[in-house]
Amino acid sequence: MAKNVLLVDDSSTMRKIVSRSLRQAGLDFGDIYEAGDGLEALEVLEKESVDIVLSDINMPNMNGIEFLREKSGRDGIKDIPVFMISTETGDDIIGEAKSLGAVGALKKPFTPDKVNEVLGPFM
Amino acid sequence: MGDFSDIIPKVVDATVEIFTGMVMMEISQQGEPLVELGNIKDSITGMVGLAGTHKGMLAVHFPNSLALAITTSFLGMDIEEINEDVQDAIGEIANMLGGNVKTILSDKGYDIQLSLPSTISGEEYTFLADKDLKQVVIPFSAPAGDFYVELELEE
Repeated sequence: MAKNVLLVDDSSTMRKIVSRSLRQAGLDFGDIYEAGDGLEALEVLEKESVDIVLSDINMPNMNGIEFLREKSGRDGIKDIPVFMISTETGDDIIGEAKSLGAVGALKKPFTPDKVNEVLGPFM
Repeated sequence: MGDFSDIIPKVVDATVEIFTGMVMMEISQQGEPLVELGNIKDSITGMVGLAGTHKGMLAVHFPNSLALAITTSFLGMDIEEINEDVQDAIGEIANMLGGNVKTILSDKGYDIQLSLPSTISGEEYTFLADKDLKQVVIPFSAPAGDFYVELELEE
């Protein structure tokens, strides 16, 4: 069954790149929603049926870590898996994201093959 | 820090990886690193600030023609003028390279945080480094023009 995805990144260019990589990965994605920061992402999650979230870390208004923290306290959306997509993959920032519920990470730049490798098991 | 000789090859590799993997564009280092760039014409610069144990800045300077080609490749549609999409794309290049530079410096024991990216563009401008920062400019060649990666860092 096709999975609906939410892309969270303050760069519209990066959201288009990630969207392209998802399509090229050959996985069964349905609707792809977009949000420019954590606040918008929470609004989308409350309104739409989303199966997987890919979120940047460094964003204005509400960053990826703050988004995870807020999401974890909302019953209707707390169990939706979140993957961090970021230029930063140091153990500390990804460790903090995972302690707040993130299930994995994709380091920019990434290829469709990498998308397949990381997200494939969750499809 | 001394000179940048130990990190320049890693910055080059990171730049090539970004262009190959994300921009889908073949690039290569073009000549020896420079100390400074001088006047920049008809260009756009993406940059991220570095803070933490060592302050500095990472900038990528593109001629407009190459910036348009990069954005066209990113978005999959023809981009013909420097607009918000181009600024966003170039900012994202700086952001990705900044993340790699952060990792490179972290391996040397530096604890660096990155700012959000920003861009400047114009017909002619000069990018001046703080005199207390060590500076290196790495030239690259791409199909649509030459560009430069500039790193400034506190010693």
